[in-house]
Amino acid sequence: MIARIRARTRETGRFLADWMEERTGIVSMTQKFLYEPVPKRGKWLYTLGSATLFLITLQFLTGILLLFYYVPTTDNAWDSIYYIMNAAYFGQLIRGIHFWSANALLMVIGLHMVRTFLSASYKAPREMNWVVGVFLILIVTILAFSGYALRWDQEGFYAWEVGTKIASYTPLIGNWMITSLLGGDTAGPATLSRVFALHVWLLPAALAPLIGIHLFLLRKHGEFGAPYEYSERLAELRKRRQMEDLLAEEEDDANQE
Amino acid sequence: MPEELQKDPLTRGQFLLFGALGTFVGAVMTIPPVVYFLDPAIKSVLQGRSDIPDDWVELGSVFDIPAGKVVAQLVKFTQRQTYDSGLAGSKEGSIPNAVLLSWKDGKMPELIKGKKKRLSGSDIEEINKELNVMNNACAHMGCPTRWSGEQKLILCPCHGGMYDINGKHTAGPPPHGLWRYDFQVRGDGGLFVRHDFHLKGRGPGKPYVV
Repeated sequence: MIARIRARTRETGRFLADWMEERTGIVSMTQKFLYEPVPKRGKWLYTLGSATLFLITLQFLTGILLLFYYVPTTDNAWDSIYYIMNAAYFGQLIRGIHFWSANALLMVIGLHMVRTFLSASYKAPREMNWVVGVFLILIVTILAFSGYALRWDQEGFYAWEVGTKIASYTPLIGNWMITSLLGGDTAGPATLSRVFALHVWLLPAALAPLIGIHLFLLRKHGEFGAPYEYSERLAELRKRRQMEDLLAEEEDDANQE
Repeated sequence: MPEELQKDPLTRGQFLLFGALGTFVGAVMTIPPVVYFLDPAIKSVLQGRSDIPDDWVELGSVFDIPAGKVVAQLVKFTQRQTYDSGLAGSKEGSIPNAVLLSWKDGKMPELIKGKKKRLSGSDIEEINKELNVMNNACAHMGCPTRWSGEQKLILCPCHGGMYDINGKHTAGPPPHGLWRYDFQVRGDGGLFVRHDFHLKGRGPGKPYVV
């Protein structure tokens, strides 16, 4: 009885998977999304990129949730965050995740960059992925900084003020930089609107396609920058694993004798 | 070989036409959003407009400014930003400024000590020379500075900028002294400021942010 159910389930599952695969290619795509051979040395260090991606996804999800309560006006921004933190159910959890994962994100993305640098993964033919990564870390940093200002409390306000002042020291276009960032020649409601537009729309919209390019280039060249195509890399990996297993077995046999 | 490469032959005229069309379409698509984004910068930098109207705002009486220290006084300026498009009845915003007041080197002029009821033109001229009317935003990064009675210095909490009682830069990263307001002393001793700034020895300019 149980055997029959099991067989039937397996059959149905296989049918569904085949059906979806034929129409969307989702099964082979999932495999492509999931597997990538990484160098044996420093295994865990190769998870930093995935960790970064996970944290950015968390930022998107919790950020969207925060938008249900946040009010981007100078009169109400702080109060709306106070509401999230004290009155909304699970508000502390949602904002806590947004806040702390943003902090962790900056750390993890930095470590990811250090790992890439130390393992020389920026070398040919992967230079463009390094370049895209540099833009990504830049956007993430500005995102973190602008999120700070959205709180519109003393700390966030003066952080943004100092940030815009730093931009004002840009040679030749300093005045243009600071007035564009402030939305005028003084900090005020236009400043908060601008920071909001940057943090919620412009920068995430720039971030998402760059992440796509970053991942596409990773799949194209792999972690080693190997000359093999993706499917060849996986085949090579399997072959090596088999060889290793075989060698291990032979060794075991030799030891027993 | 070149003939083979040029599969789709273009005449020089066509090439130039495509170039011109491309430039035109590109400009139509990029100029409006860029100018839209830069609107405040264009108004401020190119047209010299400020969010804050050039009105005089009363700050108090010069007779209340003590000797030997800096006092901070809050003043609210009208701010026209976002909410004020010139439409009648539209909401007007305001921006608080902290004005730092002190006498030159902390020494109160004799005529202030005497508490004269009416100030003459020459009295006012003397006061204008002796009075420091400064903005509290640090000249370095715009953090709020405060007077420390203990150290007899105006201190910035962010990066350690220091100024003396006259707002002159004495230590730390600021590139120059504190920004000074345009001010007016009237016959009854009333002190008025407006949102126009200058630097001692450098003339007018904009500190931004405040």
